[in-house]
Formats: sequence, C-alpha cells, structure tokens
Amino acid sequence: MTSELEQELKHLIIDTLELEDVTPEDIDPDEPLFVEGLGLDSIDALELGLALQKRYGIKLESDSDETRHHFRNLRTLAALVEERRTA
Amino acid sequence: MTTPAMMYVHDWRAWQPGRRDMSQPRLSVAEKPAGSHVPAMLRRRLTGIGRALCDMLAELDANADCPLLYASRHGDGERTLEMLNTLAEEAPLSPARFGLSVHNAIPGVYSIGRGNRRTQQAIAASGDEFAALLVEAQGYLAQGEPTVIIAFAEQAIPARFAAHFTTPIDTAAVALRVSLTPAHNAWALTSRPLASDDTAEDSPQPSDLIDWLCGTRDELHCHRPRQAWSLVRAE
Repeated sequence: MTSELEQELKHLIIDTLELEDVTPEDIDPDEPLFVEGLGLDSIDALELGLALQKRYGIKLESDSDETRHHFRNLRTLAALVEERRTA
Repeated sequence: MTTPAMMYVHDWRAWQPGRRDMSQPRLSVAEKPAGSHVPAMLRRRLTGIGRALCDMLAELDANADCPLLYASRHGDGERTLEMLNTLAEEAPLSPARFGLSVHNAIPGVYSIGRGNRRTQQAIAASGDEFAALLVEAQGYLAQGEPTVIIAFAEQAIPARFAAHFTTPIDTAAVALRVSLTPAHNAWALTSRPLASDDTAEDSPQPSDLIDWLCGTRDELHCHRPRQAWSLVRAE
C-alpha cells in the first residue's frame, strides 16, 4: 500500500533525477533506492537532498549515518518528510 | 603534384538536427538522438548532443578501444549560463548539472557507458578546434597508435551572447576515425598552405565539416594557420 506522500515522493524522485524510463509503479517502497534496487548514485543523493530542502525545508548532513538511514528506501524517506517537514 | 596525406579518414559519423537530409547514411538529422549505446541511468544526464555523440562513437569504435580526442569551443553554453544565473541569485546549484559542466563531460559519460579506458582529451582552442584536433591526432598516430577517433561538437550560442558572434553557430557534431594506414574506401586527408586572401573569416564549425565530408564543399579553409584541407577518395 502506497501512501499519498510516498506517491508524491516517487514523482519528486523521477522528475528531479530525470529518470526518463522509470514510472512510479517501478519504484518499490521497500526496495533500496541507491546502488541496488532503483540504482541511484552519489550525485543523485546530493540532488535528492537539495530537492528535499527546496520542497519540504528539510536540511540533512550530506554524509552522516542518519542520512544513509533516511535514504534507504521510499518508506524511510517518507517517514523523514513526515517527521521533519516545515513546508 | 600530389601532397602526401597527413592521415586517412576511414569512416565518419555526423549529427545535425534539422539539416536537410541528403540521404547520407553517415549523417543523422534526428531531433532527439537515441543514445541507446549508453545505459539509461547514465544517458539521462546527457542532452541531445551528448546522446548523438555516444551513438556516433559507438558506431565508429565498436570495440571501445580507441583513444578519443574531443573538441568544442563553447561546450554547453545554455547550461553554463543557467548555472551562472543560479549563482547570481545565490541559489544552490544542481549537483548533477554541476557534475556535467566540465568540458570532458560527454567523453566521460561515454567512456563509463562503453567501458573505454583509453586516453581521452577534451580540447577548446579559441575557434581553431579542427586544427588542434588534427595536430593532436598526428601526435598519437606518430607515437604508434593505429587508430584515433576525433570528435568536434558545437551548440548554438545562447541568445544572450549571440551579438558577439558574426556568424551563428549551428548545433552539430561530427566524429572521424583516422589512421596513418591507407585503405580501400578511406579518404586521404591532405593540407596546403593558403595565401592570406584565401583564408576564411571564420574557423570551420562542425556544420562546415559536415558539408566537406558530404562533398558539398571541396576544401575546408582554416582561419589561423592559413591552411586548407582536402579529402581524396582512394581509387
């Protein structure tokens, strides 16, 4: 079951990272976003961090264990936005 | 009198969107090149010209084992200007766009995508890019490299800078596979000195090279070294 916020984040990921061949249905909320699963890279992590800042006002440390945890999959990302959004 | 060939052009590919198609199989006029030789996760960061170059290079160097000499005078002017505007507004830069703003961005993505670990050079030569490419290629060939790929790509100048150019630059890319070895169906590339009166006002652009390679222009006149180059089809 995908929440409204998860759906919104799927679109944010696809648009921000220019994933031209990926549809929202392709992103499994429990699969890894980085390296495995969706296969995003370190530049994508920076780009996604910037998008979260712009859209939700969330600031993250770029290379902390905490950020690694938040970026694990779509569910952890949605939990982060839920908890920390200011916009 | 026949001048000895500088090198031989064994094959070439070119891309110029919107150019009248002369049914030349080596020329693509596609508005949106596929870039299908590079994995989608890498390809997504390339614009049209990068995708076109990846397609052309994959066809010219099927085994991805030739050195690549790439030249562009201006690179991606639109994106560079966009980043400068972002900086002027004190807004954060897109890391992906910044990462691909280096002059060797397209050869870099190509080499990762195709697994080509050979030498690569990215050249900007104040307008004398073709002359610079030939000099560099001669160096590699003289050192014993059997085959070298040279590529020249240019994009239209952003409107904001257009007033500084006397002739507009057409978006186009061209790549040649060159060698010192003659072959059936290869073109011999020769040069001759020019009197200053014959010298072109503007240095050759990729679109001029395409005219020359398609045979609609006999000689390619170079601006600064006062030279002209010709292609002669092997008998």
